Amino acid sequence: MDFIEPKRQHPLGVLILSVQFLWKLGQQAWPMLIGLSFSIGDNFWQNAVIASIASLALTGAYALLYYWRFKYSVEERVLIVEKGILHRERLQVPFERIQTIQLFQGPIQQLFGLTGLRVDTAGSSGSEIKLVAISRAAGEALQDILRNHTSDSNEHGEEHGAIENDDDLAAPTETAGQERSQLVSLSISQLFKVGLSQNHLRNAFASLALISYLIGNQPDALTSWLDGMPAFMATLIGAAMLLLILPGMVLFLMSGVAVSVATAFLRYYDLRSSIGADGLHAEMGLLRRNTFQMPYARIHLTIWRSNWIRRKLGFETLEIRQAQAESGGQGGVRVSLPALEPCHRAVLENVLYPDITDNPVMEVLPVRRLRWLLMVFSALPAGLFWLVFNPLIAAVVSGAWLTFAFWTTAKRYASFRMTVYTDTIVLEKGWFWRQRILLRLAQIQGVEWERHVFLERRSIGHIVFHTAAGARRFTYVLKRQGEMLRDFALNQHHARNSRA
Amino acid sequence: MEAPSNPEVDLSSVPPLGALDFTAVSEDYRTLRIIQWSVVQLILALSILAPVFISTLFNNVELSVDFGDRYWRIPLLVQGVVGGFWLVEEWLGFPRRGYVVRERDITYRSGWFSRSTTTIPYSQVQHIELTQGLIARWFGLKHLKLFTAGGSGNLRIAGIEEADAQVLRSILDSRTGKG
Repeated sequence: MDFIEPKRQHPLGVLILSVQFLWKLGQQAWPMLIGLSFSIGDNFWQNAVIASIASLALTGAYALLYYWRFKYSVEERVLIVEKGILHRERLQVPFERIQTIQLFQGPIQQLFGLTGLRVDTAGSSGSEIKLVAISRAAGEALQDILRNHTSDSNEHGEEHGAIENDDDLAAPTETAGQERSQLVSLSISQLFKVGLSQNHLRNAFASLALISYLIGNQPDALTSWLDGMPAFMATLIGAAMLLLILPGMVLFLMSGVAVSVATAFLRYYDLRSSIGADGLHAEMGLLRRNTFQMPYARIHLTIWRSNWIRRKLGFETLEIRQAQAESGGQGGVRVSLPALEPCHRAVLENVLYPDITDNPVMEVLPVRRLRWLLMVFSALPAGLFWLVFNPLIAAVVSGAWLTFAFWTTAKRYASFRMTVYTDTIVLEKGWFWRQRILLRLAQIQGVEWERHVFLERRSIGHIVFHTAAGARRFTYVLKRQGEMLRDFALNQHHARNSRA
Repeated sequence: MEAPSNPEVDLSSVPPLGALDFTAVSEDYRTLRIIQWSVVQLILALSILAPVFISTLFNNVELSVDFGDRYWRIPLLVQGVVGGFWLVEEWLGFPRRGYVVRERDITYRSGWFSRSTTTIPYSQVQHIELTQGLIARWFGLKHLKLFTAGGSGNLRIAGIEEADAQVLRSILDSRTGKG
């Protein structure tokens, strides 16, 4: 299949586009539409029907025009898209600028065997290209064309730094053969475990926010309902609210768990991932199915996260970050895969960072000052108890808090560790929520040694590694170690980037 | 299985950065910074004291908000403290501004209270920008900005004399391979 002739998308794209535009219109203009329906005449339902038909017709017409004027083609290693109804636009994306190729299938695409295709670049924000509906065969063919040219871009020296990495990484994977090795696939029960080990409190707050948002948008209805009530009812409702606190909290937590499980199913349903010579491949999702394809050289940060519960289940979450847009600050393209087991980590790290099986060049721990700072900050809330309680209770409660703070601080302080290998830096921190960040020295964009004047006196500072996916820092390091580390990092960086 | 070449690294042979001499930026840039500081302080002070001026100059003007007689004491005190700290930072921090150009990377050092030393390898520089503001033009100074992928490592070296800036730029252009 070739894409030389400029082509339109699949005709069903009109349907998908109309749904998308309708959704956007609904999100932005629904209060206005409801307001209009109320204010013109007195027949609310009639107005509402007219308004919805009008917006349907409008978005439908717009989608049709948009579809008609949207054409894509591939020409000489450049992906070209022409679009725009009144204001014509011609977007050209050279293959070597492509960071990720992502296939996605929403409910409509899944129903009709279509696929959407999204191409991200690390350029200025908004430089992505999105096709909403092409046939699945065309999507896969296009992905193959883009991917093959993207991953063998060594000889076309485009992105500095990444070039050599292609060489380095090709060696171990080629010998492993062209077949892909499986990374992680989730069964339904594992999916439940992922859902149950999410942060329920955060999700509960999210659902609470949603409910209060819904109530907050009908304040008139609520106040008029309250106004219409006799005065003694208000007292009764107040008393009932008090009785509802305990069941309310149970409900609150249960809704958190429900949201956790539901989002886990929506995002990670039937997750399948694998690694091969051409990079990391992952697909997941229930209603909207996403397929990612990432060449190794485009991975700028690898982050492993886990909380205590996940670790008990033997799970870790992998987050992969690619270069972010210069002005964006959005963190760039990121993919997270839940429920990776230790064996998966070994496989992936062996491919991405082969040098970390060797002995580390140096290990860096933070100085004791960090421990005192952590201690001071976690002890501060103890002061609050003295304001709220009477002295006896306050003494007991703050004593308990201080013991807890002292214990956790020791654990937290012990968890900071930076391990330096010949080509890789591993940053680890966290005790309950643990984090492990890996970055490749050949890919760093800059190194910074940072400290304020009081730290300078004690010869302490922070080391910051600037990467294309954002800065990562390791704080409170001895100056001697920090400067040695910086010189080493730069030396290794130059050594890896000098063969061109 | 062919392992990537991976010789052992002798840490003592790694060229140290701390031993190098930093090239200072132009002395005129200190004057420029002090002018900037004075202008900002003047504007702030005037805006704090504006109601006093208005009520003394135009007796018939009724201010809609009653500020009271000595309302300006606290804001002016705050401005004095913050502005004073800023001045100290400018004055003591200026001699610390400096850069080192090496074979493969450039390092910039700055700041008195909050000190930072940033190094960027030429291989990671995406593009270079030379800018010049209005006051900087009077002094014949230019600011050099280096852009890296992701933007977190961007580096701005301010207050280089025009001739030096051109030399620096041509060095960087040849090293980064953007002729």
